[in-house]
Amino acid sequence: MKAILPALLILIPGVNLFAQEKAAPQPLTVVKPATEGKVWGALIFATNDAAQLIGSQEKAPAHLGQLNDRLSKVFGFKHFEILGQHQQDIFREYESWVVPSRDLFLKIDSNGPADNGGVKLHLQVWREQQVLVKSDAVLRAGSPLFIGGPKWKNGRLIFVLSLERK
Amino acid sequence: MKPPSEDHDLIRWIDGEMNDAERATFEARLKSDPMLAKEAEELRALSAGIQAHLPAEMKIPHADFFNSQIQVRIAQMDLDESRQKQAGNTSLADLFLSWIRQPWFATAGAVALAVLGFVWMRPHTQDTSHSLILSSYTPGLGVEASTYHDNEADATVLMLDGLEEVPSDRKISGISVHRSETEPEVASTTLFDATGSPLLVISRDDAGHPLFLTNTPRG
Repeated sequence: MKAILPALLILIPGVNLFAQEKAAPQPLTVVKPATEGKVWGALIFATNDAAQLIGSQEKAPAHLGQLNDRLSKVFGFKHFEILGQHQQDIFREYESWVVPSRDLFLKIDSNGPADNGGVKLHLQVWREQQVLVKSDAVLRAGSPLFIGGPKWKNGRLIFVLSLERK
Repeated sequence: MKPPSEDHDLIRWIDGEMNDAERATFEARLKSDPMLAKEAEELRALSAGIQAHLPAEMKIPHADFFNSQIQVRIAQMDLDESRQKQAGNTSLADLFLSWIRQPWFATAGAVALAVLGFVWMRPHTQDTSHSLILSSYTPGLGVEASTYHDNEADATVLMLDGLEEVPSDRKISGISVHRSETEPEVASTTLFDATGSPLLVISRDDAGHPLFLTNTPRG
């Protein structure tokens, strides 16, 4: 027995080493970046001529209520059509893109939570390769931001950005 | 009862206020009028008795004693006069003082101050409940940005005026993005539609301009 014990002690590390070589590779862990909330962005065509509408069937989220009525009070057009929309996380440490269209889209950088609720943001409105406006804003849930963009077909392109409630 | 004039002369005589001629005339009368002489003797005895129990002279407290007494008296008269003027109607000050003296006044005052403090310090919810545009900058020439909050629409408006109009024959179409994945190491974001199919990969070029890496539906 005394002669066998040292031999076993020598063999045990070798067995463990062999076991490590046979172990399956660990899967890569996907870490989702920290976020400050989620926004809904949309590119909307506003016009008084219904014939100019392109027939999009996109619908606004329910939390915005009667969006067309609200837009009409600000911009005065009769018809509104959502051309594209995008739900996007606001990343705490990285830029976020809200791209309902390649023609008019938004870059967002978070500046952290705002006092009394909401998120402080740095916004850039892009028209293809041209930045139209850079803005610092506080976005709060239930209070959308309407951005009046360029004119198009006797109407206007409007960008709507809304913070979703958590 | 003696006539006042005689009493007056008698007192002046007792007090030694008569000159020599007056005193001689009066003393002649005393000799001829036993009744006056008796009264004079009684008054003199009374005066002597009073003077015997009083000090010959009183010491003045201080040099300005009489002036100060006059000023005190004038002040008292002024005060009495002002009180008489106010006596006709009960002043608000007296009413307020009577309130202050009430035992419940301190508690009620503390509560009132607390309520006022709360009203003054409370957050202005109307100003902080909606979104705000803090600043804006338009790099394009002739482009102006104006901001305001529309109460009827309950929305914050950032109006861009002076932008170049999009040609009418240009087709503008959108996409519907339901999900995105970002890869911070390569600074790219992949956008997915409702079915999970990738729509677009957006990154930035060396100049920081957005760069679309995947063809997407366009008008």
